Amino acid sequence: MDSAIAQKTWELENNILTVETPDPSSDSIFYYDEAAQAKFQQEKPWANDPHYFKRVKISALALLKMVVHARSGGTIEVMGLMQGKTDGDAIIVMDAFALPVEGTETRVNAQADAYEYMVDYSQTNKQAGRLENVVGWYHSHPGYGCWLSGIDVSTQMLNQQFQEPFLAVVIDPTRTVSAGKVEIGAFRTYPEGYKPPDDPISEYQTIPLNKIEDFGVHCKQYYALDITYFKSSLDCHLLDLLWNKYWVNTLSSSPLLGNGDYVAGQISDLAEKLEQAENQLAHSRIGPLGPPRKKLQEESQLAKITRDSAKITVEQVHGLMSQVIKDILFNSVRQSSRSQNDQSGPEPMIET
Amino acid sequence: MASSSSSGLTFKLHPLVIVNISDHYTRVKSQLSLPPSLTSTSSAATSNNNNNNSNGGENNQNPPPRVYGCVIGVQRGRTVEIFNSFELIYDPSTRSLDRSFLEKKQELYKKVFPHFYVLGWYSTGSDAQESDMHFHKALMDINESPLYVLLNPAINPAQKDLPVTIYESELHVIDGVPQLIFVRSSYTIETVEAERISVDHVAHLKPSGGSAATQLAAQLTGIHSAIKMLNSRIRVLHQYLVGMQKGICPFLVIVVQIKFSWNYVNI
Repeated sequence: MDSAIAQKTWELENNILTVETPDPSSDSIFYYDEAAQAKFQQEKPWANDPHYFKRVKISALALLKMVVHARSGGTIEVMGLMQGKTDGDAIIVMDAFALPVEGTETRVNAQADAYEYMVDYSQTNKQAGRLENVVGWYHSHPGYGCWLSGIDVSTQMLNQQFQEPFLAVVIDPTRTVSAGKVEIGAFRTYPEGYKPPDDPISEYQTIPLNKIEDFGVHCKQYYALDITYFKSSLDCHLLDLLWNKYWVNTLSSSPLLGNGDYVAGQISDLAEKLEQAENQLAHSRIGPLGPPRKKLQEESQLAKITRDSAKITVEQVHGLMSQVIKDILFNSVRQSSRSQNDQSGPEPMIET
Repeated sequence: MASSSSSGLTFKLHPLVIVNISDHYTRVKSQLSLPPSLTSTSSAATSNNNNNNSNGGENNQNPPPRVYGCVIGVQRGRTVEIFNSFELIYDPSTRSLDRSFLEKKQELYKKVFPHFYVLGWYSTGSDAQESDMHFHKALMDINESPLYVLLNPAINPAQKDLPVTIYESELHVIDGVPQLIFVRSSYTIETVEAERISVDHVAHLKPSGGSAATQLAAQLTGIHSAIKMLNSRIRVLHQYLVGMQKGICPFLVIVVQIKFSWNYVNI
């Protein structure tokens, strides 16, 4: 009984909506209604409300494509476009495709180069039966978190002037692999000079020291949207069956080995932040009338460093845990008390 | 028509291809049949000859549409790895493949994935048919021995196995006439870490973010389910071996290929 209660609490805590196996009629999301989309384009309800779009729904296919593309770039930023449609205050992303451009952080006008590719690709897609339009762009921030840099913000503001409705998505493939969950963020910028009425609390993420200034200057100019995912009934069915072959990969995955460089980078970054904090502390001791405000700031900086180090530790512990479990499972030679009716839980293998 | 492959090639399939094909099929199917919310008067507008339902909801008495496309990847030595796929335009009634479209798409994909090339084609359906051979032959001038990936989109809850089959073509002499026939090949699912995490994420809709406790719970649940699978598989083997010992089951040489990565035993 306890476990049932615990599960319910956990589900409530995390807002998990148990989706019943979707029946084919719920696949209606895949239907593209040309007339309704055109009407929405004309009405432009977003023109008056900068905070109009609040949610993003990403299809399983789009997510998979974007993450695989981002990871394939390694440490180089890659970018691509997303296709989809709108639905009230939600933007629906049905598909994504990669663009042959690299390194967007230094070029504001990267998208101009990719226009010809985009036009060609959209044309061929329409012929093949994918009727949706481009609704946004995505790019990767390998290793430094999901947020919009200064250049990203100006690109997105330009997009939101001329190509509405448009969405910006950022993926961090390195952190995805290291943390074992998908690191993704969807953003829209506010128009120039608009002050957001309230300060939305976004989930804290650690930013490396060399990027923190860029982050801080622009973080008020955009807001994050909620992301949910959807998949078709066939996708559900196939993914369930895929698990029959996939469990091997889950067991054999080892996050510790793949991300050695990234972890080393994180630790050195943490060391730099500690040094900076220490210097600040030394400075504040010099002035006898050190303003109390500085001390408060100092506290919060130390608190941030603590959080960062906790995060790194947690990830390492996860990796180590899976290794230990595997070790017990496969390497230890033990006699376990065998009963005819074995319980359903896993038990160590017996080697005689 | 399908016998086991003898070419000795090993096939590796990425989950992205499976999701790609499924998405292509779902799209085409939902575009042909209107969602139940729209009125039936507009159903006349759907010019598809298959669909004659006035509700436009389910079309279970009509044959589901077949979709066609191309699979791309790399072949290194004897291993063929299929990474990605894209749609193609093919008219089954006239049996004409839109060449210019194929070439255009190939060009576009080459720009972004310069290492991949066309390995074969895919389609949906329950079994490989004679008419598929035409498509297969049409692709032979791009790749002299293309693959045929067939996905069965029928959702059958009793199914235990992935409804995806890979066929190769072999030249066999039947009744004195050399013919190309499809032979089934086995394949494994191959993945990179990032792909695995996102498939996991979408398949089980795990919560992202949240406290450290929930993340830990999620990770341990994943490992637990994988270990349960391992346990059940080994149990099956064990039962069979016991049966063999008792003389119930026939003697078979069981080749147990435990293809785990070296991570396991060395650590």
